[in-house]
Amino acid sequence: MQRFNFPVVQPDPALEELRSELQAFLKEEREAGNFQPEPECWMASSDPGFSQKMGKRGWIGLTWSSQYGGHDKTALERYIVTEETLRAGAPVGAHWIADRQHAPMLLEHGTEEQKRDILPRIAAGQCYFAIGLSEPGAGSDLANVKTKAEKVDGGWKINGQKIWSSGAHICHYMVAILRTSPADGRNRHVGLSQIMIDLSLPGVTIKPITDLSGDAHFNEVYFEDVIVPDDCLLGEEGGGWKQVTGELAMERSGPERFLSSYITLETALYQLQGKLGSDSHARLGKLIASLRTLRGMSWGIANLLHQGVSPETEAALVKDLGNRLENDLTLQVRALLNDLPAEERSDEMRRILNIGILRSPPNTLRGGTTEVMRGITARQLGLR
Amino acid sequence: MINTEGMVAETAAKIYTDLCGREVPHEAEAGTYPQALWDALSENGLPLAWVSEDNGGFGADYDEVFGAIWVSAEAASPVPFAETLVANWLLDRAGIAIPEGASTFALLEGKTASVPFASTADHVAVYDAGNSEIALYKSADVPAGDMQALSPDGDVRMDFSGATPVASAATNISRRAVEALILTVRAVQMAAAIEAALNMSIAYVSDREQFGRPLSKFQAIQHQLAVAASESAAATMAATQAASALARNADDPEKAWHEAVVAKVQIGHSVEAVTVPFHQVHGAMGYTQEYDLHHFTRRLWAWRDALGNEHHWSKTLGAELAVTSPDQIWKGVTTGAWIAS
Repeated sequence: MQRFNFPVVQPDPALEELRSELQAFLKEEREAGNFQPEPECWMASSDPGFSQKMGKRGWIGLTWSSQYGGHDKTALERYIVTEETLRAGAPVGAHWIADRQHAPMLLEHGTEEQKRDILPRIAAGQCYFAIGLSEPGAGSDLANVKTKAEKVDGGWKINGQKIWSSGAHICHYMVAILRTSPADGRNRHVGLSQIMIDLSLPGVTIKPITDLSGDAHFNEVYFEDVIVPDDCLLGEEGGGWKQVTGELAMERSGPERFLSSYITLETALYQLQGKLGSDSHARLGKLIASLRTLRGMSWGIANLLHQGVSPETEAALVKDLGNRLENDLTLQVRALLNDLPAEERSDEMRRILNIGILRSPPNTLRGGTTEVMRGITARQLGLR
Repeated sequence: MINTEGMVAETAAKIYTDLCGREVPHEAEAGTYPQALWDALSENGLPLAWVSEDNGGFGADYDEVFGAIWVSAEAASPVPFAETLVANWLLDRAGIAIPEGASTFALLEGKTASVPFASTADHVAVYDAGNSEIALYKSADVPAGDMQALSPDGDVRMDFSGATPVASAATNISRRAVEALILTVRAVQMAAAIEAALNMSIAYVSDREQFGRPLSKFQAIQHQLAVAASESAAATMAATQAASALARNADDPEKAWHEAVVAKVQIGHSVEAVTVPFHQVHGAMGYTQEYDLHHFTRRLWAWRDALGNEHHWSKTLGAELAVTSPDQIWKGVTTGAWIAS
């Protein structure tokens, strides 16, 4: 009896057709100079204009009903779209999070009015969401949430601060986990709720945080007496912890957990065709074998999710392995490039490689740190 | 996941449960060959699973038999079950009659070859790519080296230069097809051994107390085994992808070569990443002959070297990819189609 459930699922010809359409579009956009490829594009490269083009082509909102502006397809189609955009290093950061997790959340917990109002705009690539989990005192210790939502007549009054909210400066909404009632003694998981906040409301202040490379794609978001209506509470009052951990488990096994740096390798391969020496052959063979294996695991989970199974531990394993792999990929490319005289390395190659190195630290932090992933695995193994 | 359901795998599972308890690999190493285990496998026809019906076998699907191989490796099989399957597969392809008893296989390099189970198997099926020939030798007719091997059934060098085969025949089967089969068999065995040793390590740290609490309660131990578990899961995926590629290309096993090489590279590199923590958490106990851990770790060390180690295969795969278009490489990574169709 094998411990982990990773089915091997063969490619589907209909999905491969979709892949070809994506490839043609991305090639055209890149050649027209409409974007410059970058590693970690799903977090750090945002271009609302590009998101709207994706929306027009029907590549956002694939998984939900056309009644709400979606395209009645499955998470497997979405997987193909996301892995192709990652491979291309396309600027998909604006819509990524809303498409991945907030639209499904609204479908499950939103009112009919919210669904009709917001989902079509997400699918059009026009409406973006930020994640409101971390706080200055709550990162890996997520339950240590201090930001409060207090019941007032007809709604909730929010006070406090969220941090590391990627893209909040261009987002329209945040879904935040907030304390709606006190913890029950040592049980801090009770009394937390998920609330959707319109970021244009009075009392919301968004301050960019500059990262070590000089980019400012994440933010501090302050709430001072921000009033949201009752229907912005998503799901069950006090049930936020369970909803959030369920969501996190769903999003840990996607292609963004191991393909974020693939653009760096592919750019190098174009430069290095036929020029690699035998030490580099060994590096390349090992790297590609790992990528193929991780792709198999991630695709296997995508198919399980598609069948309604949510394998939390398997997802944690993919994230741990995948994050290590994407950072290793960047290191291996540095070694491969020694086979090319420095003056022959293109500026494009060097730009992408440098961005990849500078953007590597958060890979093993966001979405649950490597240490948290290993804790989840250890629990499944019966060690804690 | 390797499918361990189906008649072949379930029959093997029952036999190994009944006749290959944890003491059996110890006894085998001390000189008591588990004949009853071999006889049960043989009486049920399992070593003939991949042999065509015309040649006295039952032409089972690749899939079903890989389940049986998984089961045998989980039990640290001290009899050459997987090796006989491979040998009989080779002989069947050359139309050579399948001999009675246990066999092993060799890929000839010049006049010699590294051969697993050389002292146990009655026969050796030898694939000679250079001469496009498959030959059957009696093991007793072939001089075998005598030196420290990595595992009790590990490879030793056999010298075929002065030996006369009992049968031989020309074959048109390619070296890559043979490699695809052998690398996949090894991948499945290795993934199974990694998981068995992981389970053993989890049980040990849950039981063993130090500083007043079980080792499992130390985060340093938990994280080592969590990493090993991720490598174990990846190994099983790589092995399953290779097994699935063979099953899909049963008519032309050469087409499964890339996925088999990917598995060899992935799992070969995983061996160090798992055997180090497995031994580390077991402390000195795991280094003793008395304890069971080495039945898996020594086999893993032997298997990762067999037919070329992970570095050799990384280089072989990489050399091919180095002259493959980036589009085709991406296609391989995402769909397993490594060659333009």
